[in-house]
Amino acid sequence: MIRNYFKTAYRSLKKNKGFTAINVLGLSVGLATCLLIVFYVVDELSYDRYNTKADSIYRITETARLNGNEQVFAGSEKPLLYATKDLPEFEKQARFIPVNTLFLSAQKFRIKKGNNDIQEKNIVYTDSRIFDIFTLPAIGGKPALDEPHTAVITQSTAQKYFNTNDVVGKTLTINDTSFYKITAVIKDVPTQSHFNYDFFLSYSSIPESTRGGWGYGGVHNYVMLKPGANIKKLESEMQAIAYKHYPESMHTNGNYLTYTLTPLLDIHLHSIAQYELMEKGSIQYVYIFSVIAIFILLIACVNFMNLATARSSNRAREVGVRKVLGSARKYLILQFLTESVLVTLVSTVIAVLLAWLLMPFFNQLAVKHLAFTLSSMLWLIPSLLLIVVVIGFLAGSYPAFFLSAFQPIEVLKGKLSTGFRGSFLRSFLVVFQFSISIFLIIGTLVIYNQLKFIHNKNLGFNRDQVLIIKNTAVLGNQAKILKQEIKQMSGVLSATMSTYLPTGEDRNVTGLFPALPIDIKQDVLSDFWPVDEDYINTLGIKLIAGRNFSPRMASDSSGLIVNEAFVKRFGFKDPLNKTVYRFSFGLQAFHIVGVMKDFNFSSLRDQIKPVALVYNEDRGSVTARVSTANLSGLIAQIENKWKNFSPNQQFSYSFMDEDFDATYRAEQRIGTLFISFSTLAILIACLGLFGLAAYAAEQRTKEIGIRKVLGASVSTIVNMLSMDFIRLVFIAIIIASPLAWYAMNRWLQDFAYRTNIQWWVLAAAGCMAVLIAFATISFQSIRAALANPVTSLRNE
Amino acid sequence: MLSLKNISKHYNVGGNKTFVLNKIDLDVDAGEFISIMGPSGSGKSTLLNIIGLLDEPSEGYHYFLGEAIHNLKEKQRSALYKSNIGFVFQAYHLIDELTVYENIETPLIYQDVKSSERKALVADILDRFQIVGKKDLFPAQLSGGQQQLVGIARALITKPKLLLADEPTGNLNSKQGEDIMELFRKLNKEDGVTIIQVTHSEKNAEFGSRIINLLDGKIDSSRNI
Repeated sequence: MIRNYFKTAYRSLKKNKGFTAINVLGLSVGLATCLLIVFYVVDELSYDRYNTKADSIYRITETARLNGNEQVFAGSEKPLLYATKDLPEFEKQARFIPVNTLFLSAQKFRIKKGNNDIQEKNIVYTDSRIFDIFTLPAIGGKPALDEPHTAVITQSTAQKYFNTNDVVGKTLTINDTSFYKITAVIKDVPTQSHFNYDFFLSYSSIPESTRGGWGYGGVHNYVMLKPGANIKKLESEMQAIAYKHYPESMHTNGNYLTYTLTPLLDIHLHSIAQYELMEKGSIQYVYIFSVIAIFILLIACVNFMNLATARSSNRAREVGVRKVLGSARKYLILQFLTESVLVTLVSTVIAVLLAWLLMPFFNQLAVKHLAFTLSSMLWLIPSLLLIVVVIGFLAGSYPAFFLSAFQPIEVLKGKLSTGFRGSFLRSFLVVFQFSISIFLIIGTLVIYNQLKFIHNKNLGFNRDQVLIIKNTAVLGNQAKILKQEIKQMSGVLSATMSTYLPTGEDRNVTGLFPALPIDIKQDVLSDFWPVDEDYINTLGIKLIAGRNFSPRMASDSSGLIVNEAFVKRFGFKDPLNKTVYRFSFGLQAFHIVGVMKDFNFSSLRDQIKPVALVYNEDRGSVTARVSTANLSGLIAQIENKWKNFSPNQQFSYSFMDEDFDATYRAEQRIGTLFISFSTLAILIACLGLFGLAAYAAEQRTKEIGIRKVLGASVSTIVNMLSMDFIRLVFIAIIIASPLAWYAMNRWLQDFAYRTNIQWWVLAAAGCMAVLIAFATISFQSIRAALANPVTSLRNE
Repeated sequence: MLSLKNISKHYNVGGNKTFVLNKIDLDVDAGEFISIMGPSGSGKSTLLNIIGLLDEPSEGYHYFLGEAIHNLKEKQRSALYKSNIGFVFQAYHLIDELTVYENIETPLIYQDVKSSERKALVADILDRFQIVGKKDLFPAQLSGGQQQLVGIARALITKPKLLLADEPTGNLNSKQGEDIMELFRKLNKEDGVTIIQVTHSEKNAEFGSRIINLLDGKIDSSRNI
């Protein structure tokens, strides 16, 4: 019996090659897309799960409200772990001290390999306890970081520097003067981890380890809890302990400090804290992509159902004959389900191949390292089989039950074939499909617009043709000479020296006070950037009041140029010559000499924050505004100079516009992914429509023939055939537009600087849908309309 | 073998009852070969479908092989049908995706006949109808007469007691039609299959043992040959 079904199914599918191709193609492309998304989502959800005790590990997250400003930090105070070590629920404790929190030691690392220095970023200070909490197995040595000047490195780092894994006992030379003995080599930190370090250095090596009290934050503290620990209670106990060490002003007058135990597995996707160790994922995008995956799968299934039902008139006679030959209804249902499961199975196999082929491209697009691995097969194969059965049944059920219910006598007389055309379910499914497609088109347009808006936004500085020479601090005093020489080069308009740039990662935030004596409640957090007199000019920042720094004015060393946000925060009516105070290395007074227009220096998701430029030397990098066609020549010239100063140091540079785009790489990435997925969804929907139109035309062959004999022109017939579908697309537009508008508006709310959804976006999406639908259908309609009526009528 | 009492079939069209069959009484004995004749719309096919259990009468009593059909449940009716009735159509109605062999085999599959037994039965009937050479062809590769031959073979494979044929020669030329009628006569005479056929052709009707004329849903005349 089953063999007979397979045989009939196979031959019937083979006979209708076009139909089968559309079905299999639609379903396999849909499934392949879904598979890729599933891989992406699984990857996002699997962060930090490599830790064997992941469930009992927590990160201490700190929320601080000071002066009406609440902020959440991934780091917390350095003494916190010691102060809470006696809490009985803490089984283990450990910490990372990220290099950007160091205040006495270098934050940049050059590591010697032979005669050359290599800049390294993935470096962290910690102690041995970290290996008790995280599962970072050693492949050589025993991780020990309690002695000063000890290091643990990863396998690939060992290979990079020593070409062998056997490096225990060897020494790393950092920044020429520090020597670290390697105590162990560990396996590389898994990609799905909320930190990504190659070098783990002993914290006791640096002076910070013996300094600093409760005021020093930014340490990433982790605890492993004993089973059944009461988290809420622990959090308030930690708060009570901290309050004992802080002055009262920290927890009165609306100020407070709270600690949250963030589960390790929530860090990657759910954290709202600033200063995470790595770029965070977003549960929002995981949801969005999951929904898109479901959408695409639904569209593909709907195609399948629609085509199968549309084709039912062709199968109706077979059903009739089989019934007359004695087939019970359940056999027919089984037969059709077999057929659809078969198609699904084939599609799934193709989908897996497709996904496998597309994986490298997808990885590039999504910046992931996804792969079909043995462990992924463990969940993939059973779930794929489940999918085959579920989709096979889902897609096949309607035709199966619908067709098997035919009355054989009526079918054999050919009575039913006219009854299918206006099937309500089919219209509903087409509307459903197109609603999803239109939703995705609108989403794509809005995302594209927003990304373009960000790219073209006037940031308040000019990022074009700006060359940044990095790490000039290693040149010491010669950095300034380099800047002067660059400034003299032809093709260079101006040059400035400062670590702090609107597009950079380096930030320096300080508290400033408007009056004496200092009142902590009046503290305004402001970026505080040491720059030279060429800074404003080089970056194209506009001064709206006052003047630039001048080397001729001795008093400028305590002068500030501030932005509009700064003025607003302090509430100055006439900011020029106002004095503000800073309490760091003693009390310092600064007077405002100029006000500059606001410029963006963090993500456009955030509002512009106060910035004060201070006239001081900072050798972090040299930035040049250039105007030359021969950029590579200029860069070579600069590199030459660099080599004269310091032959062993790595020369590196970047362009400011590229750095800027990097800030939005995550958004760009999501945007590209979204656009690709929705294009696919639309394609699949069109494929289905194409098939449907073909069958509609086929079923109405006789009607078309009669109409032509009666004198209808080709265009009227094309119109008639297309209108049925276009009407459905219009209904879809009406349904999808408001939904998409609402959803995309919510997405835009995340940006402090955003476009509005213009009416033309909705109109364009609608027109696009109608055009796409029309183009798809008209191919079939025109073919049907051009057919010779004599043949179609004779065949009937 | 078959007895219809007071069988009527009517449809409601715009509040009026339109009778397709009107109080038909008909008795058929085993071994008869009946031809039903009559103009278009006289109810020939409907009568045949009711006899073949493919359609139900609006009222009346229907006995077949001693069973009161009007009292049977769908399942029992279907079982009775499967093992006792074979149907032949004017348009052959072969399944296009199946070969000659598979078309003939299909009813056996629905009767859960074992594979080896099926093989023997189909081989037997192919041989008898002299279409062994065509067994692997698809319906589209056969002429109309050959297709109808397959259709009859398929109807007979389950060894039905009653063979129903709705204008079996309607789509065939006169030579082919005559061959089919000869076959019917042989089946009736030699194998004792009871046959009821609907036909427009006086000549084909003559092959039977009784001719029944229908007019406006009533039996107009019935004569033995």
